[in-house]
Amino acid sequence: MNDKLIITVIIFALVLFFFVFQLLRKGRIPVKYALVWLFAVIIIFITSIIPDLMENLAKMLGFELLSNMVLCIFITVLIFVTIILTVMMAGQKKKTTLLIQELSILKAELEKKK
Amino acid sequence: MNKTKILLIIPAYNEEDNILKINNSIKEFNKKNKTNYDVIVINDGSKDKTGEILDKEKISHIDLIHNLGIGGAVQTGYKYAFYNNYDIAIQFDGDGQHDINYVSKLIDPILKNKADFVIGSRFIDNISTFKTSFSRRIGIRIISSFIHLFARVKVYDTTSGFRACNKEIINLFAISYPLEYPEPITTVELVKRGYRIKEVGVNMNERQGGVSSIHAWKNAYYMLNVCLSIIVASTRRYK
Repeated sequence: MNDKLIITVIIFALVLFFFVFQLLRKGRIPVKYALVWLFAVIIIFITSIIPDLMENLAKMLGFELLSNMVLCIFITVLIFVTIILTVMMAGQKKKTTLLIQELSILKAELEKKK
Repeated sequence: MNKTKILLIIPAYNEEDNILKINNSIKEFNKKNKTNYDVIVINDGSKDKTGEILDKEKISHIDLIHNLGIGGAVQTGYKYAFYNNYDIAIQFDGDGQHDINYVSKLIDPILKNKADFVIGSRFIDNISTFKTSFSRRIGIRIISSFIHLFARVKVYDTTSGFRACNKEIINLFAISYPLEYPEPITTVELVKRGYRIKEVGVNMNERQGGVSSIHAWKNAYYMLNVCLSIIVASTRRYK
C-alpha cells in the first residue's frame, strides 16, 4: 500500500467515525447499532497503520490485489448488514400490525359502550 | 343451532357500493331461516364512504386505524372471534362475490365434526356459473398442484376467500396468520398441523362493484411469491 492510499483510507475512517459519533451524540442511533460501524472504523485504522498485515493476509487467501480483498470484505459485510436490517424491518412490521389490530379492536369496543 | 356462535368476518376496503347490500342480505337470510349469524365488518382503512355507511347503519364493525391489507384485516376478524368466544368463523368477502345461501353448506361439515376447515369452491359440483378468467384459473391450478405436491392434499379453489373454520383454528389464526397470500398458505399450514380440510361447491358471483384487490394476479411475480411461500410453509415444523 502506498503512502497516498494510507492517507486516503485514514481520512475515510475519520469521516466515518465522526459521522457515526455525531449520530450517537444527537441520539439518532443507539450505541447498540453504532457499535458495528465503530468497529469497522477500528479495523480500517489498524489495517492502514500496519499495511503489511493486510498484504500478507491477501496473499494467504489468494487475492492478487489487496484492493480486491478489501472490496470483497466490504461487500460481504454490507450484504449481511442489509439482511439483518430486512429481518429487523419484518419484525417491526409484525409488531405494527399487532398494534393496529389490537388498538382498532379496543377502539371499536369503546365506541360500542358509548 | 342457536347454541353455536357463528360469526361472518367481512373484510372491506373501499366497498361503499356493496357493504350495505351484503349486510341487508345477511339480515334477511337470518330472518327467513331463523339463523343467527353475527357479522363483523373489518374496515381496512377505506378511503371512500364505507366507514360512514357502517356507522350510520349501525353495522357491527371495526375500523382499522391504518390499512393492513387483506391478511391483517381478516386476522383482526379472527381476533375478534377469539375474544368474543365464537365457535365458528366464516370469511365472507365484502365485494358481493360470496353467496349467503351457501354458508350453511359451508359450516355443515364443522357442525357434524367431519372437518375443521371448509373451503367454498367454485370448481366443485359445478354450482358456480362464474368461474373467473382464464388466466386466473391457470394461476389457481398451478397453486393447486403446488399445494398437492408439497402438502399432499388436493384443493381446487386455492384462493377462495369463502372459508369456515372451527374454534380451534380461530384460536390459531388469532395468534398467527400469514399477512401475505393468506389463502394458499393457511391451507398448507393447516394440513401440516393435521387438521381436516374439506372443500365444498358454492356459488360465486362476479364482483358487484368496486375493484378487486388482487390485480397482481396476472403477474408472474405474484405466482412466484405464492409458490415459494408454499414451499417455505411446507418445510416448517409444526407442533
